[in-house]
Amino acid sequence: MRIEQHPILEFEKGEKIKFYLDGKEMIGFKGDTIASALYASGIYKLSESKKLRRPRGIFCAVGHCSSCLMIVDGIPNVRTCTTPLKEGMKIETQNQEVVLNE
Amino acid sequence: MNNIEKAELIVVGGGPAGLSAALAAADYGVNVILVEEREFLGGQLVKQTHRFFGSEKEYAGTRGIDISKFLVEKIKENENIKILTSSRVLGIYNDKIVTILANNKMIKYSPKALILATGASEKFLAFENNDLPGVFGAGAVQTLMNLYGVLPSKKILMVGSGNIGLIVSYQLLQAGVKVACIIEAAPRIGGYSVHASKLARMGVPILTSHTIKKAVGKDKVEGAIICQLDSSWREIKDTEQFIKCDAICLSVGLSPLTDLLKQANVKTSYVPELGGYIPLRDENMETSIKNLFVAGDVSGIEEATSAIIEGQIAGLNVAKRIKKDIDNQVKIEKKIAEAKDELELLRAGPVGEKVRNGLKKIGLDPLKNYGEKVSTEEFDISFLMKTGIPSKENLKKKLPLSEDVFNKGPIAISECFQQFPCDPCVKSCPFDAISENGSINNIPYVNFEKCTGCGICVSKCPGLAMFVVQKNYTDSTSLVTLPYEFLPKPVKNQIVLVLNREGTEICEGTVKRVRDGKIQDKTTVVTIEIPKEYFLEARNIKVDGGQKHG
Repeated sequence: MRIEQHPILEFEKGEKIKFYLDGKEMIGFKGDTIASALYASGIYKLSESKKLRRPRGIFCAVGHCSSCLMIVDGIPNVRTCTTPLKEGMKIETQNQEVVLNE
Repeated sequence: MNNIEKAELIVVGGGPAGLSAALAAADYGVNVILVEEREFLGGQLVKQTHRFFGSEKEYAGTRGIDISKFLVEKIKENENIKILTSSRVLGIYNDKIVTILANNKMIKYSPKALILATGASEKFLAFENNDLPGVFGAGAVQTLMNLYGVLPSKKILMVGSGNIGLIVSYQLLQAGVKVACIIEAAPRIGGYSVHASKLARMGVPILTSHTIKKAVGKDKVEGAIICQLDSSWREIKDTEQFIKCDAICLSVGLSPLTDLLKQANVKTSYVPELGGYIPLRDENMETSIKNLFVAGDVSGIEEATSAIIEGQIAGLNVAKRIKKDIDNQVKIEKKIAEAKDELELLRAGPVGEKVRNGLKKIGLDPLKNYGEKVSTEEFDISFLMKTGIPSKENLKKKLPLSEDVFNKGPIAISECFQQFPCDPCVKSCPFDAISENGSINNIPYVNFEKCTGCGICVSKCPGLAMFVVQKNYTDSTSLVTLPYEFLPKPVKNQIVLVLNREGTEICEGTVKRVRDGKIQDKTTVVTIEIPKEYFLEARNIKVDGGQKHG
């Protein structure tokens, strides 16, 4: 959900950005990070733990905790909470088992 | 070696400390490279919608977002500052070579001096299921709602009642999120009482001596189990309670981000009062490595205001070393001395005690000049610091002694009962009617003889603790003027519900006046007419409509 009205802040919704989560088309806005666009669309699970496959979401939202790592355009371990959303991005939920690119 | 660029000063971190450090040095002609890992400058300031405490000289009374805009604009105008955003400092080596990753390219600099203002990260808390989506750090909640306009949840449990926990709870309410309650493991609220009072009069319960045991939910938080703690912080049996909420916000402290300092082999020490491992440094903010300075939270957790001043001290010291002409030296020395005084003053009161104790541990004496100016007035605020609600005795001390005062017309009432460094009420009064007796750490008092009840202070007080009352408006009604920072804004002649300091509805009131101009700067000043019996109780309103979200 997005804030429509705020007593102190004004949010200017930027232009729409189309992206894909595990192949499904999603909409975010200019100014979003990948994670903020996902949370605004009600997606709270970004990755899962290695062994028990427990869901992981945003914890710190400033690029420090690595709870929000996802595969972005084929690159694993991208910090989605600080990565700006771009048109056509292909985002995939990541199991933290993913091995680094050679 | 020819790919290593020479530089005068590199500042790492574009938050309040880094910005002010870069400005202070660049103002004396030092060439500065300001490196920030995010794509924008401002650090945590960009999501602080509340007005800052502290001294007016250091932007008190101004919202964090506006301080950020002001500083960033000055940085961008300054020709001596080169800004590298989306750039991450990877390492600082023995010969002070700095490597930076920018646009997937590694660049190297050899600077004469370095100022590290890397800030802090949020602490985590151990409890069952703490990895569920919906468990957030308080900073994350602020980022989502205040930076990206995304609601983190519908109903939240706040863990921790320090200033951040209290401020973020209030911001959640402003964004339209319900706050189920605020729990605090200590027997006392950790943040300033005025922040707690703002929440109490919104009806948000603050439960001290409580902690979280478990987050409940399968794929996402659906609730939490909390319990009560005894005086030795042990769980009291059979006090478990289920709190229904769809998010849990942790506001349990910050730790300095010292990774780069450790890599550079700066000497550190564990000082719990300052948040954990901190660099050893002198009063000029220089670390154990010559020409390597620190500023802000990385040197010990404090407020943004002290970070700004520490940045100035570090930046000025670098300028002093690099720009050696006599004229500048004298000017810079004077400025450094002023900044140090300002910092000492901020730390001089009772709320600065923890920081002072921490600084003593690393061999700094933070209270040379100001100890004696802080009054030792006895004010029992134990009830206030447990509930956010001032006691009758507290209130009595701030009200007029004689009924006659109420006959002269409207007067301001200051409901500020705790000593902490803050002075916008004093500085904003056009009639010089509010005084703190010589130190910004003292409690402000209204001189009712001088006060005209103009209401300027109502929107200026960062704690929203100034009210204006006119007891004898008519035979049966009084006027109460209060600050209001929610939507929808009330309109003239509207009937609103009136709440007391505990957030309980006590009566209806009629809106007589709404002031919402440039001076009020979004803290709307609302005057309501209410039955006379409630003139000392009415401290909040509820306006029909509520905030809408899509």
